[in-house]
Amino acid sequence: MIQDIIINGLINGSIYALLAIGFSLIFGVARLVNIAHTAFYMACAYLIHVGFSYWGLSMPLAIVLSIGLTTIIGLICYRLFIKPIREYEAAVLIATIALGMVFQEVMLIAFKGHMMGVPPVATGFVIVGGVKVANQHLLVLGVAVLTLLATWFLLMKTRVGLAIRCTAQDSEIANLMGMNVDREIMIAVIVSVVLAGVAGAIVVPLRVIDPHMWLPPLIMMLAVVVLGGLGSVKGSFVASYILGFTEAAVAIGVPMGSFLKGSVALSIMIIVLLIRPEGLFGIAFEEER
Amino acid sequence: MGLIWFQIKRVFTLFRSEVLVLPSRVAVLIFVAALVLLPLFSQDPYLLRILILTSVFAIFAASWDLLSGFTGQMNFGHALFFGVAAYTSGLINVHFKIPHFFTIPIGALAAVLTGLIIGIPCLRLRHTYLALTTLAFPLILMGVVFAIPDVTGGELGVSGLDRLSGSRLRDYYITTILMLLLSFTMWKITDSKTGIILHAIREDELACRTAGINTTRYKLMAFCLSGFFAGIAGGLYAHIMRTVGPSTLEVSMSFQVIIWSIFGGVASIYGPIAGVFILFPLAEVLRVVPEWRMLIFALLVLLTLLFMPEGIIPWIRDKIEKQCPRCKIRSVAIRKTCRVCTADLD
Amino acid sequence: MKRSSILWTIFLALILVAAAGAPCWAADPIRIAIIGPMQFTQGEGHWNGATMAAEQINKGGGISVGGAKRLVELIKVDSNEFLSIPDATNAMELAISRHRADFLIGGFRTEAVLVMQDIAMDNKKIFLGCGAAHPELCDRVTKNYDRYKYWFRITPINSKFLIKVDFLLLNMVAQVMQKELGIPKIKVAIVAEKAAWADPLVAVANENLPKMGMDIVGVWRPSPVATDATAELSAIQRAGANIIFTSFSSSVGIPFAKQAGELKVPAPLVGINVEAQKDGFWAATGGQGNYGLTISTYGPVKITEHTLPFFNEYRQRFKEAPNYTAGTYDAIDVLKAAIEKTGTLEADKLIPALEQTDLKGPAGRLAFSKDHDVVWGPGYTTGLGTQWQDGKNVVVWPYQWENITYEGTVPYKLPSWVMEHYKKK
Repeated sequence: MIQDIIINGLINGSIYALLAIGFSLIFGVARLVNIAHTAFYMACAYLIHVGFSYWGLSMPLAIVLSIGLTTIIGLICYRLFIKPIREYEAAVLIATIALGMVFQEVMLIAFKGHMMGVPPVATGFVIVGGVKVANQHLLVLGVAVLTLLATWFLLMKTRVGLAIRCTAQDSEIANLMGMNVDREIMIAVIVSVVLAGVAGAIVVPLRVIDPHMWLPPLIMMLAVVVLGGLGSVKGSFVASYILGFTEAAVAIGVPMGSFLKGSVALSIMIIVLLIRPEGLFGIAFEEER
Repeated sequence: MGLIWFQIKRVFTLFRSEVLVLPSRVAVLIFVAALVLLPLFSQDPYLLRILILTSVFAIFAASWDLLSGFTGQMNFGHALFFGVAAYTSGLINVHFKIPHFFTIPIGALAAVLTGLIIGIPCLRLRHTYLALTTLAFPLILMGVVFAIPDVTGGELGVSGLDRLSGSRLRDYYITTILMLLLSFTMWKITDSKTGIILHAIREDELACRTAGINTTRYKLMAFCLSGFFAGIAGGLYAHIMRTVGPSTLEVSMSFQVIIWSIFGGVASIYGPIAGVFILFPLAEVLRVVPEWRMLIFALLVLLTLLFMPEGIIPWIRDKIEKQCPRCKIRSVAIRKTCRVCTADLD
Repeated sequence: MKRSSILWTIFLALILVAAAGAPCWAADPIRIAIIGPMQFTQGEGHWNGATMAAEQINKGGGISVGGAKRLVELIKVDSNEFLSIPDATNAMELAISRHRADFLIGGFRTEAVLVMQDIAMDNKKIFLGCGAAHPELCDRVTKNYDRYKYWFRITPINSKFLIKVDFLLLNMVAQVMQKELGIPKIKVAIVAEKAAWADPLVAVANENLPKMGMDIVGVWRPSPVATDATAELSAIQRAGANIIFTSFSSSVGIPFAKQAGELKVPAPLVGINVEAQKDGFWAATGGQGNYGLTISTYGPVKITEHTLPFFNEYRQRFKEAPNYTAGTYDAIDVLKAAIEKTGTLEADKLIPALEQTDLKGPAGRLAFSKDHDVVWGPGYTTGLGTQWQDGKNVVVWPYQWENITYEGTVPYKLPSWVMEHYKKK
C-alpha cells in the first residue's frame, strides 16, 4: 500500500510538475497569468491525434511536429492577443480565459465532442516494488526530471537564463540596463508553450482527448503553482509532488472517497496558504505595489 | 398648490440640468424605462425568460464588481456565493416549506456568512494568489455536495422548489425591479464614503493603512456585501429554475461572471450590468449558428479586450463624454467648455 | 458542421419531393423539436435517430391525422446542457414558444432534464425523454399525475432495471470464471463513479453480492470526469479482485478501461460503461478496452424484426452504432402510432393512446408502465449486454436467460491476459 502511494504519487506529481513549471516560468518573467496554458497542452494532443490518425505519420514525428506547431500557435496568440494588453492585469486574465475557450470551441467544431485517444509511445508495463507501472508513466517520470534539469540549466547556466532572471526580478531596470525585455519574454513564452506541448505529448496517451480536457489539469496546475509560490520554479516542483502524493493517498487510502482527491488537494493548498500566504517558495509581495 | 408647483418645477429643472445634459444618464434612463415598459409591447414567454435570467445574472455580475472591481479583491470563485445561497434557499424551501420571501434573504445571509468564512483567511492573500485560491473554494464545496447526496441530491441537486410567482410577467417585474433597486444600492455604496475607502484599498492598500484606515475591516465588509448581493441572485435563480444543482458551483459559472464584468467594464457597477445585458441575450441570438456560438462569443470578448481593455462601457463613455480637467465633472463630448466651471475641455 | 448541413439539404430535398408528390400540400407539418446537447455524441444520437424516423415517415406520405396526411418537420434545438443549465432551459422555452413545437423529444443530463420537464409541463406539451435514466423523472408522474402526465420515457430503461441487468451480467461472468478458471469464491471490486444514479447500485451491490456467493474487496468512487485511474487500479490489484464491477456514465470510463488494459489488470470489467457502447471506444482506448462488458440498448442482433434494419442503416449512414439517445427514432414511431390512432395532435387526447402503446421497435417491445416509464422484462425491452471482442462490439447477453437468446448473440469471452494470469498459478 505504501509503495502504491509512493509510485502513483510520483507519477501524478510529475504530470503536474510538467504543466506547472511552464506556467510558473511565464508568470515569473512576465507576470502573466496564463489560464490558456493547458489549452496548449490540449492543442498539442489534438495535433498529435491529427498527425497520427489522419495523416498517418509515425508517432515520434507526429509528436515533434505537434510540439513545433503548438509553439508557433502559442507565439502567434501571444503576439496578437496578450502583448497589446500586458499592462492590464485583469484584462490579461480574461483574455487568456477567452483564449482557452477559443481553443476549446475550435476543437469542438473540428472534432465534435467525441472522445478520442492516441496510442502510447511506450507500451506495456513493468513491475516496480510489486506495483505495476505502465511504461508510458515511467516515461512521464523521466521526462519530468529531464525537463526540470533542462529548465534549471537554461535559467542558471546560460546568458539567456541570466537575462530571463533579471527580467523576472525587475523588468524596468533590466530594460534600462539595455536588455531586450520583449525578447526575454518571448523566450519565456516559447519555453513555456514547449513545456505544455511536451506534457500534452506524453501525458495524453494514457488519457482521453476531448474539447474540455484542458479544464481539470488547469485547476490542479493552478493549485500547484499557488501552493509552491507564484513564479518559483522550484516551488512548483515541490508542490507538484505534494499534491500528487496527496491525490494518490486519498485514492488508495480512502477508496469510498476517491472522488474527493481533488478537493482534498485543494484544501491542503488553502491550509498552506493560511500559514504562508506567499506559498512555499514564493516571494512575499507585501511591499510590492 | 404653489408649493407643489414649485416642487415639480424644481424636480424638472434638476432633471433637465443633471440628467438630460449627459448622454450616459439619458441612456440609463432609457434603459430603465425600456425594461419597465417592455411587457406592454411583448409578453413573449421566451423573451421574458431571457430577460429574467439576464436580470439575475446582472445582480450577480454587479456583486462581483463590488468585491473584485471596486475593492480589487480578485475573486475567481464567485460562484461560491451564488451556489451557497441557491442551495440554502432550495433546501430550506423544500424541506421546511418556508416561502420564498424568507428563503431568498436567508440564502443571502448564508452567502454573507460564507463571505466571512472565506474572507478571513483570504485577507492575507493578495492579487493572483487571492484569485487562484478563491477559485478553489467552490470546487471544494462541490466535493462536499457530492459527498453527502442524501442532503444535497448529488448531481441531481434539489428540485421541486416553489415558483417565484405564478406568472411569467410577475416574475419579470420582480426580478427586474429587484435588479434595478439592488444595482442602485450597490452603486450608492460605491459612491459613499465607504466606497471611496474600498476604492483606495484597491489602488494602494499600504497607503490606505498608513492613513489610519482599518483595511481588514473594510475588506471583510466588501466580502460580506458582495456575498449578500450574489446570494440574492443565487436565491432568485433557485426559485426561477426550481432546481438547484452542482452546476451553480461550476468553474464556468465563476468564469462567466468575470467575462461579463470585464467586458462591460469593471469598477463601475453599471459596466458589469451592461455587460450581462449585452452578452447574455447575444448568446441567445447566436443560436442561429449553434456550432459557432461559443467561438464567436469568445472571439468577441478577446477582440473587445484588445481594442478596449477597460471594457466596453467606459470606452463608449469616454467617446461621448469628457471630464473637466479642473472640476472633474463630466460633460457631453461635443461641448468645448465644462458645463459647470466653463473651463476649456481637452 | 459540414455533415449536418449536407444532412439538412438531403432532408429538405426529401421534404420537397415528398411534398410535391403528396396531395397534402396545404396541411401544416407536425413540428417536433429534438432537444439535446447537439455538440456532443449524445445530441448527435438524438438528431440522427430522429432524422431517420422522420424521413421514413415522410417517404410514406407523413402521419395521417384524422384522414389528412401531414408531414413531420424536425427542429434541431441545442440545449448545451452539459455546460450550462440556463442554456438548456432557454432552449426549451425557445422550442415551445418561438418554434411552436407540437412535441418535444430528447434531453440527457438529469439535472437539466428536471428543469426542462417542468417547462414542458407548464406549457402542457408532450415531452418524450430519450437519455436520462433517473427514476425521479417518472416518480413525478406518480406523485402529481395531472401535472406530469405529459412526460414519457422511451430510453434508457429505469436505473432500477439497469441494476437488475447489471447483476445478471455480473453473475454470468462470475459463473464463466468459476467454471473455466476454477476460482472457488469470486472477489469483486466495485468501481462506481460518484454520481447519484450509482449510489443505489453500490448499496444494492453491498447487500446482494455476499448472497450471490461473492466477496467484496472494496468500493471505489472516482469522480465521473476523472482523467486518471492509475491509483485506483493499483489499489484494486493489491486487493486481489477477480472481477471489476464498473458503473460509469461519463468520460471516466475511457481512461479507466484504457489504463486497466495497458496494465493488464487480471480482472475483467463488467457492468455499465456508457462510453464502451460507442463505436469510438475502440479507437479512444487504442484497443486497450478489449473485452469490456457493458449494458447497452441497441446491438447487431435480432431483438425484433426492426432491430437489424435500423442498426445497419444507422451505422451505414452515420458511421457509428446507435447509442441509447438514438431512441428518438422509437419516440417518433410511438408518437405516430398514437396520433394515427386518435386522429389528433391535442396532448390531452393523445395521452391515453400513448399510455396504451404496445409497439415493436428496434430496442424491443415498447410499452409504458403506470408512471409513464418504459417497461422492462422478458418479452419487453430487456436491454443488452455488449462486449468488445477484438475490435468488434458484439452482444453477449441475454444468452439463454429466461429462454431468451436473440439471434446473433455470441458467448462471453474472458480476456486472454486474465486466462493466462490464472492458468500460470
